[in-house]
Amino acid sequence: MTDSQTVLAILLTPLFSAVIITCFLRRRGTLASILSVSAAAVICIFTAMAISSSGGEPIRVSADWLHFGDFKVSMGFLFDGVSMTMLSMVAFVGFLIHVFSLGYMADDKSQGRFFGGMSIFMFSMLGIILAENLIMIFVFWELVGFSSYMLIAHYFDTDAAKLASKKAFIVNRIGDLGFLVGIAFAYWHFGTTNLEEMRAAVVTNPALIDWTIAALLMCGFIGKSAQFPLHVWLPDAMAGPTPVSALIHAATLVAAGVYFLVRITFLFPDSVLNYIAVLGTGVAFYAGCCAYAQNDIKKILAYSTLSQLGYASAAFGFGFPGIALFHLVTHAFFKALLFLGAGTVIHGCHHEQNIFKMGGLLKKMPITSITFLIGMLALFGVYGLSGFYSKDAILIAAGFDNKILFILLIAGAFLTAGYMGRLFWIAFLGEPKSEAAANAHEGKIIMLVPLVILAALSISGGWLHFWPQELGGIILEDLKLQKADDHYDHLHHLVLIWGTASWIVGLLGSFFFYGLGAKEDRLKQTVKPLYALLKSRLLIDEIYNYYVAKIQQRFALFLNALDVFLIKGVFVRGSGVITFLTSTCLRWLHVGDIHVYTYWFLAGLILLCALATGVCF
Amino acid sequence: MAHMEPFSILLLTAILMPLLAGVLLLFGARFSGVLLKVLGIIGFGWPLIVGVLLFCQFDSSLIGDYNFELRLPTGLEQLGIYLHLGLNGISMPLFLLAGVVGFSAGWYALHSKAERLHLYLSLLLFMLSGLMGTFASIDIFFFYFFHEFALIPTFILIGVWGGVGRRSTAMEMTIYLTLGALLSLVGLIALYVKSGVESFSLIELRGYLASQPLEESVQGNIFALLLIGFGILVSLFPFHSWAPKGYATAPTGAAMLHAGVLKKFGLYGLLQIAVPLLPEGAMQWTPWIVWLALGNILIIGLITIAQRDLKMMFGYSSVMHMGYAFLGIATLTVVGVGGTLLLMVAHGLSISLLLMLSTCIYHRSQTFDMKSMGGLAAKTPVLAAFFIAGIFASIGLPGFGNFWGEFTIFVSLAKTEATRWAIIPAAIGIIISAVYGLRAVANIFYGAPHSRFEARLQDEAIVDIKGFERVSALVLIGALLIIGIFPRILSDNANLELMNISSYQSPTNLSATEKVSTSFAEVVEAKEEGLKK
Repeated sequence: MTDSQTVLAILLTPLFSAVIITCFLRRRGTLASILSVSAAAVICIFTAMAISSSGGEPIRVSADWLHFGDFKVSMGFLFDGVSMTMLSMVAFVGFLIHVFSLGYMADDKSQGRFFGGMSIFMFSMLGIILAENLIMIFVFWELVGFSSYMLIAHYFDTDAAKLASKKAFIVNRIGDLGFLVGIAFAYWHFGTTNLEEMRAAVVTNPALIDWTIAALLMCGFIGKSAQFPLHVWLPDAMAGPTPVSALIHAATLVAAGVYFLVRITFLFPDSVLNYIAVLGTGVAFYAGCCAYAQNDIKKILAYSTLSQLGYASAAFGFGFPGIALFHLVTHAFFKALLFLGAGTVIHGCHHEQNIFKMGGLLKKMPITSITFLIGMLALFGVYGLSGFYSKDAILIAAGFDNKILFILLIAGAFLTAGYMGRLFWIAFLGEPKSEAAANAHEGKIIMLVPLVILAALSISGGWLHFWPQELGGIILEDLKLQKADDHYDHLHHLVLIWGTASWIVGLLGSFFFYGLGAKEDRLKQTVKPLYALLKSRLLIDEIYNYYVAKIQQRFALFLNALDVFLIKGVFVRGSGVITFLTSTCLRWLHVGDIHVYTYWFLAGLILLCALATGVCF
Repeated sequence: MAHMEPFSILLLTAILMPLLAGVLLLFGARFSGVLLKVLGIIGFGWPLIVGVLLFCQFDSSLIGDYNFELRLPTGLEQLGIYLHLGLNGISMPLFLLAGVVGFSAGWYALHSKAERLHLYLSLLLFMLSGLMGTFASIDIFFFYFFHEFALIPTFILIGVWGGVGRRSTAMEMTIYLTLGALLSLVGLIALYVKSGVESFSLIELRGYLASQPLEESVQGNIFALLLIGFGILVSLFPFHSWAPKGYATAPTGAAMLHAGVLKKFGLYGLLQIAVPLLPEGAMQWTPWIVWLALGNILIIGLITIAQRDLKMMFGYSSVMHMGYAFLGIATLTVVGVGGTLLLMVAHGLSISLLLMLSTCIYHRSQTFDMKSMGGLAAKTPVLAAFFIAGIFASIGLPGFGNFWGEFTIFVSLAKTEATRWAIIPAAIGIIISAVYGLRAVANIFYGAPHSRFEARLQDEAIVDIKGFERVSALVLIGALLIIGIFPRILSDNANLELMNISSYQSPTNLSATEKVSTSFAEVVEAKEEGLKK
């Protein structure tokens, strides 16, 4: 196989699996799961093959897809350093989550639907990663949204899944509106949407950078990566099965937004970058706060994901796309681990998700608990673990840029340690607080193996010297750029001290505040207004719901009434009524009585005379 | 073109075969079930076979001219009227669309339990015959004639086989659509008279008017007549009020053929006849088209959200999507009109799929009220999957044809300064359609069933989608997927055809394109030089 054929095979393997499952294996869950998992394995193999044989050189393939006048769409791959890094992460983490699902979904009746959905998701996600132009990215972007919709709706008979799936797709569409308009503008602005051609155009003529286009394209990122104000769909999306939350709503799909930004970095002027930095920092802080008022283990992790995506986009906003990419990769390792750990816990506790009904899981599920702890420490950025390297670099970038953002991000790190500590102390230590937790059992071996591998990656994922040479390119470049700065040494020490202090204080603080295996949320009992504020999540969901139910729906009903009464009733039927009335009136003249006709004749004669003599005028 | 002759005759048979089957079925009261079915399958299937054959035989080197030309005398030669048939890059996709939707609708109708089935089928066959003729006509007279030929059975079908309120709906639709048709007829005759070429042939009119265009004011007046006439037929806002109730009331087969194919007549008339022949008239009226089309998208879109009745919702949604089609035409560019053409085909497929599936749902739920259903997917997973496919097609998910149509239209809007502002209000439509589409899926198939629906859902009689329903649905979904995955199958010939029409050649923004490609070449060269060093 040539390199380009291998890349094509990477993309088409999951599609093949999805098509076969949808058409033939709907009721044969086991076969479907085997096919889907093997497809994920084949993707990994092909990815390794493609990367090693290309030796880091970009692979470009392109084919004409649609042609109208001066509008040309092509489909093709740009398989370069950035996409190799992202692809390796998605392929490998994706494979592990597929394997985990074998155990987690074993008792599910609709395995065919689930694994078909996973395969179509892999297909769409790989499409985004490999795409060479904006239009192709958009195509797969929408497909990712669709597969996410289908997988969130997996337990479609529950109201939570019914509403969450709809919400996720519609909120994403709002972001896509901007993306779509941005593409249309970009096409006529640059005459192409090919990433390399646009980059070349901008390099030769920086005046071509246009902030409207950048801002419009950014909308797509805001929707997909669940940034403010379109973040509302992500916590609700936890209604899907846990492996889906791990794969789509933690490791890959939400990272696609940031990845997209990294792909089009060159289009961004400073004004938009600053906006993204502020936005990312704000979300990192806001989501960290919200996590304190959540009792559902998956929702806590969802807010944590929001917060970490905030860090990644802040890194991008500070002008270090490589570091954003780095954080995406390490985050994928430890967040996938945390979600899968949560999945094992939920599975072991017979679908109990409330942390205040767990407790004492460390004894019952030792492997899960220890791997969960490792993931947590990596998330904190404990020295030497994967999260440390990427978070450290982000904080340094913030230090270069702006003091307030720097302090907020440090505070975010403190919050992270606090809410994760809360989760760990309450759910994993102390005594079991419900029957489900008392009867908890360790997960199956097929679920534990991915956990252990991900734990190993959460520890070592940040050691860049061990990365294959092809993958680290843009990340190392950005790190080198940081090191070249005069303030680097000073900041580096500052970040090391403050970063470490913040997680230690956060962890210990939560220990002393909540205690081991607490039955009630102490924050709720002691500082009620603060808890209520955090619980309300600044009322953003409520505002949206109010808008949809009270404003949009009522306006729609009003327009409907207007349509029925005014257009259909008055204008259309009205013209019918006028015709009817006119004909009725005219019929009255024809009474069939000679006397009446004589009078009419006389009246007409008088009128005629009047006209002729000019009396009327 | 002697070698083309057998195919020209084939083209003629696509019109005559359903007509013949329809006439035979008129006397079919005593026919056995098998004979009925055989006649039906021949009548409904033949146009599809011919459509596919001709599509494969289509010779793109003849672009600018017509493929499969056939000219038969009619006895009206002194008026310049011939039965002049043929297909070009614009009409070929629509001809094929008529074949596909005709087969799907016919197959569904064949298995339906309509009363006086032979008459029902016979009228549908007349409709289909008219549809095939409309898109195959080069002669404007026959273009119009075949449309009326298809329209009249529609009224009868609604009035006799329709649902609740069929009398008044059929009445309203008849008067309203006849008015629209009449206005467009006046426009077409004015075109014939004013041009002075004494021929109804589109080829001759186009050739003549290209060298001697009409006065600007005359063009404007004729275009206005055609716009309002065709606009009524395509349910341009605010002339749409016949459509939602009409589709909600019409029997499934008739609704599929009308919403899917017959309605596209007006758009086809605009982009094949009105705009190419009256370029300056079109220029005068495009700002109006843009505003009214936005009315379709935004106002009707919001009204669609307010619907609780499934069929009414699809009725309004089909009105809404016509807004995009008009916008594409209003750009007067190859991109925009190409997008409209793709959307016409894809929308025809998706709306007929959805109208059919909503009848399938009704047979299981006995109601069209979406709020009083719920949880149906547990009993009917395949029906749910098809319905979701239809909904996602209609809200423009890539992979289905509608995406390329809508996407191309959006891009075309951004091309010229005059229409650039309209892209944002127009694109809000993609959110609106997602809202009502997914709401329908959620209310019908997901969640816990409504209290009244719960007992019904336990009924053994509720079964998943049946074999014949599957065939009809799969034909449509398959066609949508083919266009969605590989749009060039339709777009290449259409593009060549549109490039030939001067009305669509607005000045391009080529300077930027050249700028980029040259600068890219420079960078590559610079890099190569760097490597050499």
